[in-house]
Amino acid sequence: MIRLPAALILAVLMLLGLVAGSPAYASPPDEAENDDTGLHLLREAAIAGRNRGYAGTRHVTVWGRSGAFSSVLRVRNVPGQGLFVRTEPSGPIRRVDPGSPAGSMAAPSEAMLEVLARNYRVVEAGGEHACGRPARLVRVLRADGTLAARYWLDEAGGPVLRRELLDGHGRVVHTEALLDLVLDPARRVAGPALVAGGSDVGEAPRLLSMGWRLPTALPGRLELFAVHVLPTGYLYLGYSDGLSVVSVFVQSGVLDGEQLRGWHAQQRDGHTIWMRNSAEQETIWASGGHVYTVLADAPADTVDAAVAALPHEPVPTLWNRLGRGAHRLLSWANPFG
Amino acid sequence: MSHLGERVSALVDGELNHHERDRALSHLAFCASCRAEVDAVRALKNRLRSLDGPAMPADLTMSLLRMGDPGDPLPPRERPFPSSRTFGGAPIPSMHSVAPPDNRPRGRAAGPRRTRRVGYVAVGVASAAVAIGTLFVVGGPEPGPRVPPVDMFANQHSNTAPYGGSARPSFSPTP
Repeated sequence: MIRLPAALILAVLMLLGLVAGSPAYASPPDEAENDDTGLHLLREAAIAGRNRGYAGTRHVTVWGRSGAFSSVLRVRNVPGQGLFVRTEPSGPIRRVDPGSPAGSMAAPSEAMLEVLARNYRVVEAGGEHACGRPARLVRVLRADGTLAARYWLDEAGGPVLRRELLDGHGRVVHTEALLDLVLDPARRVAGPALVAGGSDVGEAPRLLSMGWRLPTALPGRLELFAVHVLPTGYLYLGYSDGLSVVSVFVQSGVLDGEQLRGWHAQQRDGHTIWMRNSAEQETIWASGGHVYTVLADAPADTVDAAVAALPHEPVPTLWNRLGRGAHRLLSWANPFG
Repeated sequence: MSHLGERVSALVDGELNHHERDRALSHLAFCASCRAEVDAVRALKNRLRSLDGPAMPADLTMSLLRMGDPGDPLPPRERPFPSSRTFGGAPIPSMHSVAPPDNRPRGRAAGPRRTRRVGYVAVGVASAAVAIGTLFVVGGPEPGPRVPPVDMFANQHSNTAPYGGSARPSFSPTP
């Protein structure tokens, strides 16, 4: 009499377990997760970052290759005038673009958001709190489902309250957070829409004809968005994946490593590169008669992959000089050049 | 044994083999006429041998010497049928060729051709040197050692708005 109820109870329990573990009874997948459900929230926050007045204190921490770098900024956004930033305790007041790294990428352009949506999945992840205010959390996911960034957006129509970037190992490598915020109650409904933006690669054909190498993409979904020669004679290449910026500066000549004080050399795949501990993860190396300088606010693994993908060629030889002379002669003789 | 006859001259010239010479000498021991004939032939040859050679005419000598001087290359031989087969540059006579291959020494006759070839090589080398020198000069020297202005780069990096239209950093005055 005792064995039968025990076996019956066991069978009922097993049946319940099967029912509970069955996929048919699992919660249905959220189809909206496959869409960029959080993109419109980022767009609204970007508009607010330009058009709504606010003031506050922003704390920035970057975990670089060899440590963390933190800074505290006083920020004040004046619609129609711009975003003013002052580094505590005694930095000068600077007017910066809210879509630039100096502006904490608080107001990216529409083109930047399109790049973000092309490279990542942007999903809304519910309500949270940041800076003592109600916020909407937006998660930015890589194709493999890992988390690449998190945004806390002010529910009251304010700017981005907090922003985090994560590397491929899931570690937070970049944080920008408002510690306090005073939001202008007046909403500028009729304010300008989001900046359209776009690529700035108009000089690329001419530079390509001059023999410059212009990689259109780098590892880590980094896409070339800007190419131009600076008035100082340097070539600038700007790359972004929609989250961060990698800047590449190229100049002719050979690197004088002895003058690089405060930098340390490392061997990477048989090449010598110079690095310095800073928030921008600065990297310098020489390649084929050019000096490359890379600065980035991207995760270190992304920066390392980008550096490895850029040219690393030996010291130029006599043939390089003869080839350069032939190229110049051809360019002079080319009536369309 | 009969008289020596035509063998007298051969005996004097030493052209008889051992057996014939022994027989001829044994005949001479008993034949005075043959002995006299042999003595006459030997005396004649001794006299001819003692005579001086004919003098070379001076004009003929000069003509031969002039033939040794360098001059224009020899005109090609006219062959009734062209021969395209060669071996080492010399034509190979075929069953249709009439003239033998021209195997005369070319040392003196090829001199101008070699000189001309050397001239071509010299002109080519000089042209290549001029071309390489031009490329070297136009290529310009390598710029001197550089140290990147990282602080300026960092300023430009932090002020560049990606996909913000014109990505040239602008530095505005502080308010």
